[in-house]
Amino acid sequence: MAPLASIGFYLALLTFPDWSGAIEGSRYMTTILRDMTVFAIYALSLDLLVGRAGMPSLGHAAFYGSGAYAAAIASQRLATSELTVTLAAAIAVSAALALVIGLLCVRATGIFFLMLTLAFAQMVFAVAFQWTDVTGGSNGFAGIARPTFGGLETSAPEALYRLVVIVFGLVSLLIWWISRSHYGRALVGVRENERRMRALGYHTRRLKLSAFVLAGALAGVAGALSAWSFRFVSPNDAGIGRSVEAFVMVLIGGAGTLLGPIVGAGVVLYIDRVLSSAIPFSQAVLGVVFVAFVLAARQGIVGSLRAALVRVRR
Amino acid sequence: MEPSERPERRPKITRRGFLVAGSAAALVAACAPAAAPSPSPTTAAATKAAATAAATTAVSTPGPTLKLGMLLPFTKVYAELGASQKRAAELYLKQAGGKLANRSVQFIFEDEANDPQVGLQKTQKFIEQDQADLMMGIIATPIAYAIRNAVDSAKFIYIGTNAGGNAMTRDTTDCKPTCKSKYVFRTSFSAWQVSQPLGEWLSRTPATKEFFLCFSNYAFGTESAAAFVEGLAKNGGKETGRVAPPLFNSDFVPFVTQIKAQSTKNVYSFFSGTDAIGYIRAWNQLGMPAAGYKMFGAGFLTEQDVLKEVKDQANGAITSLFWSVELDNPENKAFRDLYQKEYNLLPDVFAVQMWDGMKALDEALKKTGGNTKDKDALIAALEGVSFKSPRGDFSFDKATHNVIHDIYIREVKTAGGQTVNTIVDKFGKVTDPGK
Amino acid sequence: MSLELVVQQALNGISFGALLFILAAGLSLIFGMMDVVNLAHGAFYMLGAYVALQVVQITGQFWIAIVVAPVVLAAVGFVIEPLLLRRLRGRHLDQVLLTIGVGFVIVDLIGLYWGREVRTLPFPPGFDRSIDIGGSAYPTYRLFVIAFAVLLAGTLYWIHRRTAMGALIRAGVDDAQMLSALGVDTDRLFAITFAVGAGLAGLAGVVAAPAFGIQPGMDVDALIFSLIVVVVGGLGTLNGAAAGAALVGPAETFGKVLFPQFALALIFAIMAVILLGRPSGLFGRIRIGR
Repeated sequence: MAPLASIGFYLALLTFPDWSGAIEGSRYMTTILRDMTVFAIYALSLDLLVGRAGMPSLGHAAFYGSGAYAAAIASQRLATSELTVTLAAAIAVSAALALVIGLLCVRATGIFFLMLTLAFAQMVFAVAFQWTDVTGGSNGFAGIARPTFGGLETSAPEALYRLVVIVFGLVSLLIWWISRSHYGRALVGVRENERRMRALGYHTRRLKLSAFVLAGALAGVAGALSAWSFRFVSPNDAGIGRSVEAFVMVLIGGAGTLLGPIVGAGVVLYIDRVLSSAIPFSQAVLGVVFVAFVLAARQGIVGSLRAALVRVRR
Repeated sequence: MEPSERPERRPKITRRGFLVAGSAAALVAACAPAAAPSPSPTTAAATKAAATAAATTAVSTPGPTLKLGMLLPFTKVYAELGASQKRAAELYLKQAGGKLANRSVQFIFEDEANDPQVGLQKTQKFIEQDQADLMMGIIATPIAYAIRNAVDSAKFIYIGTNAGGNAMTRDTTDCKPTCKSKYVFRTSFSAWQVSQPLGEWLSRTPATKEFFLCFSNYAFGTESAAAFVEGLAKNGGKETGRVAPPLFNSDFVPFVTQIKAQSTKNVYSFFSGTDAIGYIRAWNQLGMPAAGYKMFGAGFLTEQDVLKEVKDQANGAITSLFWSVELDNPENKAFRDLYQKEYNLLPDVFAVQMWDGMKALDEALKKTGGNTKDKDALIAALEGVSFKSPRGDFSFDKATHNVIHDIYIREVKTAGGQTVNTIVDKFGKVTDPGK
Repeated sequence: MSLELVVQQALNGISFGALLFILAAGLSLIFGMMDVVNLAHGAFYMLGAYVALQVVQITGQFWIAIVVAPVVLAAVGFVIEPLLLRRLRGRHLDQVLLTIGVGFVIVDLIGLYWGREVRTLPFPPGFDRSIDIGGSAYPTYRLFVIAFAVLLAGTLYWIHRRTAMGALIRAGVDDAQMLSALGVDTDRLFAITFAVGAGLAGLAGVVAAPAFGIQPGMDVDALIFSLIVVVVGGLGTLNGAAAGAALVGPAETFGKVLFPQFALALIFAIMAVILLGRPSGLFGRIRIGR
């Protein structure tokens, strides 16, 4: 790593609301950066599965959505906006759900794993859609209080932005640390050759399950942050569209890298939510981008840039 | 893409540094439109005007450009409804000479993609980046609920042109699922307004007191069915049973089979768009009319988009709505002719809702002299708006900001190759019971 | 539920399953032969329906559309495979992203060209009414769908078992690499396979259109249903697709009328239960583990 550059970039991101005041439209830039950052956390969490452990989950929105609902419902039912309580609820619910779903799914691989995760996510979606008394059903859940931490408020946009970026920093550090740890390398080993890892004495199923639970919990964190950002949760947040978004972000940016999912989140959100205003066929553009990246940039944006740099240096 | 191109020029840059700079560039690029007025091809001309108007007090226009954020679906299932409302908005502006209250107008169209999260992002864009004067639109109720708090706290006026969830203009406990706001108006309808009068009207006749219910299983469908039953109860009518297919159901034959297996011949049917077409076709395939079953429902069941595809298969269906393309009044005739001349299409109810939204805004702006900065004055002006619309008399309920309009009972008939909703009866000035 | 009603709903379920078989056969073939999960399958299905709509508008003939649409789709498949998919052999995640992308492009272009309104295809003449079955009316078109699917299944079995092409396909499903080593031009074989798979998706689009309508979003539904059928039945085998369709069609139909509150997830729950019991589907021979 080039720690200095990363830290510099991160600090620039963290202080964006402070120094961007002179730029026209900086308020909306802050909003979009905040949403990109939430999605970056979400994509990073999925990359633990797709990129590191080789588990192609198409149901990650189950955890994003359940985290969002858990934070919202905890805040309403317990009449508190205390971050430690609501965030803990989000993590606990999404991790518990990931444990149950994971126990049932980690035995499967490839397309079967993909379809099983999709199936369970669809069940979570159905619960969100039908359990009107608790989740608000198809109307969604509105009026979510933004969290407080001790005496600190995050109801102001800048404060919430900072909270999101701080959590993003912590999650990135965690992922970075995992990628260098024995645990992270064992996960990659499972991806590359599960049988050999088993022969080497690793309990591979337990390894995969732990990755699944961790990824679920982190997606739940992203979900909670989105609930606070939008102050609204809807069944869409647990739906297949949200799952596909994360999947695509990871693949576009480059699976198995720290920067890849972050860049992927930015690119996909940009095309899908910002560029879509300007052109009538943004879905087609997104599709062409996917195709182009698959054909031109084998390892995603970040992986390919890296490869290109290696070539240039020689 | 040619990733090697740029690094060659700056070979000394560190690998990491480059990556970080690259992603920083991507992030900044992601926000780039913030610096320039949003380019929407449909408003290219207006955008150009706005670009200059923003900086200067333009030579030719007396007031600064009025920016209207239009949040509509242009993709996914409701895309055609969004397209219809866009046509209506543009047509209104065109016939008004491109100006409202002597201010030139810039539409900023945004796609909400039928996703509340996206709808909220775009609403933030209207407020924070475009600094729009106000916003209009929204087809799906959850999106309207999602943006309610955002527009309320930003003191940003929103004129709803479709989303009909009852709570949007009502007082509710703890504001769940949402509640009225002084900044929110609605020119379309509430679920109650469309279905309650039909129930009340039908239950006056002994032959139509008992109904089986079949409705899309989502909040708006449930609210509509409940309002219908409430109307039935007014004259001692009641529900005999129900079945609720999921929203966007692909195969309706199994559900119509269920209806046919029970004995109540009158069926309240709440469906719209693709579901309505699938339902009516299944209804005919299974020979329901011959078996004596009759369809009743909220007007969306037999609106233009549906009749165009099912034609005489819907004959005999009795529905209620605040408009019909056949409605005989001068405003409707003028509107229909204008719309047809411009687009070579018959207008639909969604077009009327947007048309009236534009008209209401136009009238209110005339009263404030084009001023949109004084929100209280503009709200008061909107509250006082009342005009002859293609649907009849149009005004807002001052207490809730929901539309007050006549509800027509209509029957589908085919004559001379045209299948239309003919007016059977009318409920005058129907006001949502919300406080 | 009375017996009569059970029979009727069973027919509804079987005809839905029949359609699912037509839809899933192509996906299954491509998966078994080429080891590609084609996520553009739903978009192919949708394109088939719109091509049929166009043909019917021009010629007024459903029976022409049912021939033309699959041919057009096969041509599309025949171009896409060598152009885009060939170089991705064995790269599963890239195939996923690529086929999602192709699907996005097709669906968006359909919207631009044909508009995004809901459309319908009229029933072919003679199939727009009901006939009497056990004392109650039943739509003839749905009986046609059942008969058509059975005929198609029979034809596919015959090709599979009795022709040289079928032998190649069977060999390819077992071991495509070995086939290549034996001197078979697998590039050409794969292009043809993909074309046939796309053509079958297009065929399903035509057959489904009169009964289920043509609208934005139909691609996603079709894709999910066909994935479920293929996974439940077992990947890459014709038996599997048939068994999956025979199970999923009636399960979906009975499930949603009996338990409407679970309608959104019922079919997924059934799939999950089956996969937990039989991790490679009912007729799955191989576990695709990578």
